[in-house]
Amino acid sequence: MPDLSHIILAVCQALLLLAVAPLVSGYSRVLRAKMHTRRGPGLLQDYRDLVKLMGRQDMHPPASGMVFRVMPVVMMATLLVISTGTPILTRFSPIQAAGDLITTIYLFALARFFFSLSGIDSGSSFAGIGASRELTLGVLVEPVMMLALIMAALLAGSTDLGTIGTAIAAGHVHSLTATVVAAVAFAFAVYIELGKLPYDMAEAEQELQEGPLTEYSGPSLALVKWSLSLKQVLVVGWFAGVFLPFGSSTDLSVTGILLGLVVFALKIAVAFLVVGVIENSVSRARFRFTPQHSWIGVGVASLAFVFYLVGL
Amino acid sequence: MTATSETRIGQDILAALRAKMPHAVTEERWQTNDQVTITVKLNSLPDVVRTLYYEHDGWLSTMVGNDERSINGTYALYYVLSMEGAAKCHVVVHTEISPDSLEFPSVTPSVPAAVWYEREVRDMFGLRPVGLPDERRLVLPDDWPDDLYPLRKDSMDYRFRPEPTEDNENYRFVNDAKQETTVVPLGPLHITSDEPGHFRLFVDGETIIDADYRMFYVHRGMEKLAETRMGYNEVTFLADRVCGICGYAHSVAYASSVENALGIEVPARAQAIRAILLETERLHSHLLNLGLVCHFTGFDSGFMQFFRVREKAMTLAEMLTGSRKTYAINLIGGVRRDILGEQKAATLALIAELRAEVTRLLDILMSTPNFAGRVANVGRLDPQIARDYSPVGPVVRGSGHRRDTRADHPFAGYKLVGLPVNTQAGCDILSRTQVRIAEFYDSIDLIERLLDAAPGGPILTEGFTYRPHRFALGYTEAPRGEDMHWSMTGDNQKLYRWRCRASTYNNWPVLRYMLRGNTVSDAPLIVGSIDPCYSCTDRVTIVDVNKARARTIAYKEMERYCRDRTNSPLK
Repeated sequence: MPDLSHIILAVCQALLLLAVAPLVSGYSRVLRAKMHTRRGPGLLQDYRDLVKLMGRQDMHPPASGMVFRVMPVVMMATLLVISTGTPILTRFSPIQAAGDLITTIYLFALARFFFSLSGIDSGSSFAGIGASRELTLGVLVEPVMMLALIMAALLAGSTDLGTIGTAIAAGHVHSLTATVVAAVAFAFAVYIELGKLPYDMAEAEQELQEGPLTEYSGPSLALVKWSLSLKQVLVVGWFAGVFLPFGSSTDLSVTGILLGLVVFALKIAVAFLVVGVIENSVSRARFRFTPQHSWIGVGVASLAFVFYLVGL
Repeated sequence: MTATSETRIGQDILAALRAKMPHAVTEERWQTNDQVTITVKLNSLPDVVRTLYYEHDGWLSTMVGNDERSINGTYALYYVLSMEGAAKCHVVVHTEISPDSLEFPSVTPSVPAAVWYEREVRDMFGLRPVGLPDERRLVLPDDWPDDLYPLRKDSMDYRFRPEPTEDNENYRFVNDAKQETTVVPLGPLHITSDEPGHFRLFVDGETIIDADYRMFYVHRGMEKLAETRMGYNEVTFLADRVCGICGYAHSVAYASSVENALGIEVPARAQAIRAILLETERLHSHLLNLGLVCHFTGFDSGFMQFFRVREKAMTLAEMLTGSRKTYAINLIGGVRRDILGEQKAATLALIAELRAEVTRLLDILMSTPNFAGRVANVGRLDPQIARDYSPVGPVVRGSGHRRDTRADHPFAGYKLVGLPVNTQAGCDILSRTQVRIAEFYDSIDLIERLLDAAPGGPILTEGFTYRPHRFALGYTEAPRGEDMHWSMTGDNQKLYRWRCRASTYNNWPVLRYMLRGNTVSDAPLIVGSIDPCYSCTDRVTIVDVNKARARTIAYKEMERYCRDRTNSPLK
């Protein structure tokens, strides 16, 4: 049972991530504009967009039902639960029950499930195709994610994200090579999970009119957009928490946590800089060929397992 | 006319035709040395067109319907064939239809390329093609009255707007799929096209089994407008506005159609200037399409970079014509502005910059890891289908056919310089893109050579008189392919008939075959690869049914709402 200070930390962490998510997506947009040689909107544009959308009318297609209506809330709630369990500012999970790797993976899957379901429920054919793509992508990316994280768990001897991170930070791992290879495989899976080019299949604007987002408007659209940017920050934080925990606080002291915050901000800035360069230098992959890409991920993750067995 | 029997091109074709069908041709009239109009008997029309099309390397360029009751008591049809075999000329097959029967034998069963033209002439003149496989309306909206034919001389004032006859859309989309398919509607408004066109994709999973589409949501009534209220020179400015991208090509085509009809000699310098401006237009249009290809594959960085560089082509146009879109420079008989010495120097400097910058960008584009994979083998246009439907421009050249009006029927300044015709055999989007890239470089070369080759002298012929009921063709190779205009002068200082056929009009019918077998996600890319121009295709009417998702709102109601802005029918 977590004590009060852990709960306070968890709530603060979740709210903090929620608050900075639009800033991070704004930062992506600024980078994008730079790569396009255009001036582009400012860093705070996504906050302005959210405020604008919040004041708009919420329209639902007549064919849509319950799932379409509750999805934005369910998705946001799920992601907030994940943010309370991921070790981001601290080396350990603020709430241990939510910080288990299997729980985290399936909470992400829950969000994805509702996101896809809403697309099918909207009655729009584009949203439907987007939804089926989203599910296919989930099926493709999950094995990579599972395998890579289970490798890390085997190496550290626990499925708790915090414990894995601590072990990696301290160098108490069974095999260094296996850890690095698993990290590469996980990074690939996380990149697909970000939903950025060349893998933004489900929300492909030019192909599917933004897929499941097509039919949303007003506050619902704002919530979904906000959730998507929160998800991006969260998956990067997840990766950093497990494989790059350096700099995060090992205790609950205020200075430690503040230092952790600064280091996390730096990690995010660097990660999204790399992501920005990649996403703006490629075309969208053809959906038919995505399985070939994800097989590479599975291959790399399996390689980590081989290294683990050999003990290199 | 200026044509004399020794220099006429295409006499062999006519001789062969007469030998094959001795009694079909009743009259031949030469408009220029390489333009002949033959009058044939109504019943031999399909045979004559088929013979010219398939046995003498003819391609169907356009078909003109004309209400000539006030001249000779008949309706007339003119099938324009561009002969691209050994003798390169235009043969126009003319036939007369009696106002009592209003029927003619359809050419479509023997030459599929005629399908849109015959559907259009049925809508516009009420002339019934007997045996036409596709009896749906093409141009007129669903709520148009059945017995009102807009282009008949006695049908309506151009300001008149008939009462809508019904509220529901009853257009039937054709699906040839054998298996069960899901319908994915693309449009009338879609995120990747800024103009309305309604595509129905019939898909199985993500694979397109068949597709059908309708255009003409924004018909502007330009032909009627030109015939009823504009003088000859005003129409050159109207023709500019046919297209927002390649309008100058239309204005040159129109002006030369009138010049051909009246035998006006355009000064050589004016012709060179027209060619230079046409190439300038091609520069910015091809850069636009290259940018859009990037955009449709999700590579927005490329899109933005191409649009940045494209701005130089617009600057060039602005310097040479005074407007960013090469507008308002033509008159019947020549052009309004000369290219001065310093403008020539500035042009050379600008296109040198363009060449360097675009070369860099194309390098980046072609080495972008997954770009080629995205466009290769997508949207295949089979060469045989291309042969049957007469598409034009980079679309047909990407499927291996050597068709380029500039080379086949040199017009304006292209007589001064030779030019290569770029083709690719891949038949896919990559091929079309590569054709455009090659043409971009050719345009730069052409501008340089034309600036040097242009002789001095006047830029405008004046002092001619307009004689009634003369007609001829005028044509250009716009960036999207051949533009074909047919004009007939009237006796009231206005055109009797102006038929303007934009290049995209000929490319739409083959799109269906290009879409089949690809995925839904590639559909916008494939549509984009013909570089479509919706508004060019759509030239004539105004009424449209406004649809809200499940319900249909009466047009009147919508109009009232636009006026009053209260009690929205959409709520």
